[in-house]
Amino acid sequence: MAREIYQAITDGILVGGVYALMAVGLTLIFGVLDIINIAQGIMVILGAYLSYELAARLHIDLFLGLLVTVPAMFVIGVVIQYAFIRPLRGRERMSMTLLVSYAVALIIEGILYETFGADDRQLSAWYVTSSVHVFGFYLPYIYLFGFALALLLVAALYALLYRTGFGRSVRATMQDETAARLVGIDTNRVAAITFGVGVAVTAAGGMVYGATNSFNPNSGYDLISRLLAIIILGGLGSIGGALAASIFMLTLESLVDIWQPTWAIVVFYAALVIVLVIRPTGFFGRQPVRAQ
Amino acid sequence: MSKGQILRVTGLVALLAAAVLFPVVFSNPVYTNYGVYTLVFVAVASAWNVFSGFSGYISLGHAVFFGSGAYALGIAARDWHVTGVGVFGLLPLAAAVGAVIAVPFGLIALRVRRHTFIVITIAVFFIFQLMAYNFSFTGGSSGVDAPFLPWQASTYNNPFYYITLACAVGMIALAWLIRRSRFGLQLRAIRDDEDRARGLGVHAMRVKLAAFALSGAVTALVGAVWFFYLTQVQPPSAFDPLFDLSVVLMAFLGGLGTVSGPVLGALIIEPGQLWLTANANGYISEILLGALFLVAVLLVPRGIIPTAGEYLRRLTTRGRAAIPTASATVPQAPDPAPAQEAQR
Amino acid sequence: MRPNLPWLPKRAFALTGTAVLSVSVLAACSSSSSSSTSTSTSTSSSSSPSSSTPITIGASLSLTGDFSADGINYEHGYELWANDVNAKGGLLGHKVVLKILNDASSPTQVDTNYQTLFSSDHVSLAFGPFSSLLTTPASAVAARYGYAFVEGAGGAPTVFNSPSNQADHNVFDVSLPIKDEMVPFVNYIKSLPASQRPKTAAYPMADDPFADPPVQLAQQELQALGVKTVYSKIFPEEVADYKAPADDVAASKAQIVVLGSTDVPTVAAFMQAFEQQHYTPKLFIAAAGPDQGSAFTSVVGKGNAAGMMVPDGWYPGYASSASQALVQEYVSKYGGNAAGVSSDVAEAYSVGQVMAQAVAATGGFNNAKIISYLHSDVTLTSVQGPVKFDSLGENNASAAFVFQWQNGGAVFNQVLPAGVSGSVAILATKPAWTS
Repeated sequence: MAREIYQAITDGILVGGVYALMAVGLTLIFGVLDIINIAQGIMVILGAYLSYELAARLHIDLFLGLLVTVPAMFVIGVVIQYAFIRPLRGRERMSMTLLVSYAVALIIEGILYETFGADDRQLSAWYVTSSVHVFGFYLPYIYLFGFALALLLVAALYALLYRTGFGRSVRATMQDETAARLVGIDTNRVAAITFGVGVAVTAAGGMVYGATNSFNPNSGYDLISRLLAIIILGGLGSIGGALAASIFMLTLESLVDIWQPTWAIVVFYAALVIVLVIRPTGFFGRQPVRAQ
Repeated sequence: MSKGQILRVTGLVALLAAAVLFPVVFSNPVYTNYGVYTLVFVAVASAWNVFSGFSGYISLGHAVFFGSGAYALGIAARDWHVTGVGVFGLLPLAAAVGAVIAVPFGLIALRVRRHTFIVITIAVFFIFQLMAYNFSFTGGSSGVDAPFLPWQASTYNNPFYYITLACAVGMIALAWLIRRSRFGLQLRAIRDDEDRARGLGVHAMRVKLAAFALSGAVTALVGAVWFFYLTQVQPPSAFDPLFDLSVVLMAFLGGLGTVSGPVLGALIIEPGQLWLTANANGYISEILLGALFLVAVLLVPRGIIPTAGEYLRRLTTRGRAAIPTASATVPQAPDPAPAQEAQR
Repeated sequence: MRPNLPWLPKRAFALTGTAVLSVSVLAACSSSSSSSTSTSTSTSSSSSPSSSTPITIGASLSLTGDFSADGINYEHGYELWANDVNAKGGLLGHKVVLKILNDASSPTQVDTNYQTLFSSDHVSLAFGPFSSLLTTPASAVAARYGYAFVEGAGGAPTVFNSPSNQADHNVFDVSLPIKDEMVPFVNYIKSLPASQRPKTAAYPMADDPFADPPVQLAQQELQALGVKTVYSKIFPEEVADYKAPADDVAASKAQIVVLGSTDVPTVAAFMQAFEQQHYTPKLFIAAAGPDQGSAFTSVVGKGNAAGMMVPDGWYPGYASSASQALVQEYVSKYGGNAAGVSSDVAEAYSVGQVMAQAVAATGGFNNAKIISYLHSDVTLTSVQGPVKFDSLGENNASAAFVFQWQNGGAVFNQVLPAGVSGSVAILATKPAWTS
């Protein structure tokens, strides 16, 4: 029994890393643009397909391929934000962004179906199926690399947010958009670039997700609900919170899996509800600013 | 009654008569089938709007009520051995189940705002879907079957049409009454600025909860009718994640917060979606649908009804001030008609 | 006091009313409609059209959405059948025209589609959709309109036990009843001498009415044989991560794994987790997934596919001339190779074949006669083998076979029941994972 628990905890941490990669971009977008990006799920899948194409056609290693997919997704993110999100204003902004991001998700899904068909794919590489033997457990390399990548990206984002001028602008906009504008920050530019960064990070998440799960264009819907739960738990806009929440939720789920897998996901969502009742802003969230 | 009011009432009566006579004129079951599903969504969109549109709390978890109503009817009919037309008598039970679920759901969810609220509704939605899979009294992944109705195919749809019509008309009437009432005013105050409303003495939690329960009860009722019509319910169809998004789109397209907006939105989108999907040529339809949504949101951001209303008002009051400005020293407007328009 | 949101001005209201009416009129006009008078009684259109008019067969398939991969295979199967029938002169001399509507894997849509097909298009015959989830409500509509509902993808008990089928007996599933699926596998284990028989077994099952019954039955039988159950749990079907249940199975070190899966991703996820955990079960059988041909091997890799077993009523190597012809036709029309043809195609083709035989036997397109004919204990043929329906519409003449990927994943062979014509030697131990 003890062994199962240790296995579940390691599983939870490792898989939590994968989810963190997918969630970090979403929480950043939330924090700065104050919108729910329902298209995040399909962005993960898009990243997975891009990595797949690079690997299948040009035989580029998955991690190396990120050097191409991440900038590509950045550009896609900026374009989407500029074209569809920026024009949304007014009191109904929340429902509008919901609908617009849903519409974008539909369009991307349709394009993926047309281009790749409905068959399942999976990314493969030597490190996907092999594992390292540690303390009697097998830890698959892909999860270890993915976790390391998650830590790296979180650190990089922290560096971006706390060590650069642009990062200061982003944090200012997160705190209070009107005040930021008054101080002279071009919040539109900040919003566009942040959205791009959020989507770019998702490219990495997509690659690791595609290596650890088989996917098809329809796989995005399940993901988005879990990702939303994770970032709300971690606190909107908190990158470290997204990482902590991913690990926490996935570990909890793995532990309940030992007993009864059908209840594991219920526990996942129930945990979210419970935490939010006790602490509405999540683990590391800020108090919401009034009048935003 | 003024001329305007007479015109409005006549229009309403004409609409109602058209709706009632629809199955008589278009008696082919294909049309009444479209009618049934469309009216289901008219009722749900209107119910959703009474809560989310009026209060500003966007709920993506109304499928909880829809599915719970469906399951409630199915389980009750199965366990109490109710068959045939008697099943319709169980409908109030479904509505009651919806209201009962809304109370704890609302007490938990309505404590948080905006995005957090949305995500809690999504979380509760998934909890319900998964519970439907896991419990044996819900039939697990096999779901629940509705009692068999040995009716003729040519007229099978009609009773369902009239019941959903009654639900829809009732909900619209309720929405209209609420909008005119103090309760509706309180809801809109919450929407505009909840803290200030609280400061002014509005019992925010009670008001929100009441709207949530009402909205939930009607949605559950309609869900039960839908289940009986379709003859079967299973977890993925009872709790469909895309259900709420469709409802949001309908309410939004027509005009969030208006009474007739969600109705128009449902009337446009549901038949459109049914027809487009059936004749879809691969995934082009999905791309088209997404593009249509985008166009709708970007071009008509306030919804069709408010935009159309404004456009018409601009037409009819061209050249004249529609609103007597605050700084006007002359108390009466040059023409009584615009003042009447403004007062509405 | 001027309200914040604009009230609806009376003229706009009239406009709305007009809009509503015009929308409904447009909807009426745009759908392919005949007269607006009601259709006749509950029996279907029973008149025989003149011999030069084509007859239409209607079906709703999941061309988009959750089940789209299988839905498209079914579309191909129906189309291939229609082409073959027309090449031979059609059904009773009438050319067959297929009308297939997309249901996007939604029950509401499937209901609408079949009502459209019956009431508006007045199709002569109907074929079933894909998956038990959609077949149940669709068959209720067909029962109402008096159509025989021949299908190949609705095998869960919910389909046969639905109130409408119990009342009208109009459902006919041409494919193997799922509860019999694992029987050859269980018999194989029984046939092994006690010293060689595996001692432990794991039964992970997806939460699905199609996947669970055969696995649960297998568990009962194998337990009675003395095979210890070391893992038996149901996991949610759409879980985005199967790693934890799969790791638990690997930790149990079961010698047999009977996986209740419904699609390729589930099997692939378990296989991948097993490989990561350096665990290879001696025998690994999955309820579905490995029968999807190249859609399976391209995801898991050919080497890994070797040894994987799956029960089914058909496989591309099935040695009947009709089946071989079908495989060749599929490959020439849609590409790919023979081993890659999914069993969906054969199921759909069989639906057509059974209907054709019923039409020929009853001499017309009267659905009531077709229903009684199909219930008359007659044995029909199909590319999947013999077909005979019991009173609830299950095919109790079909034989369950178990298939296995062999030769390093290059060939998909029939292995069980052993000794039966067409069966080759089974790979008694699954080869180690390759990467």
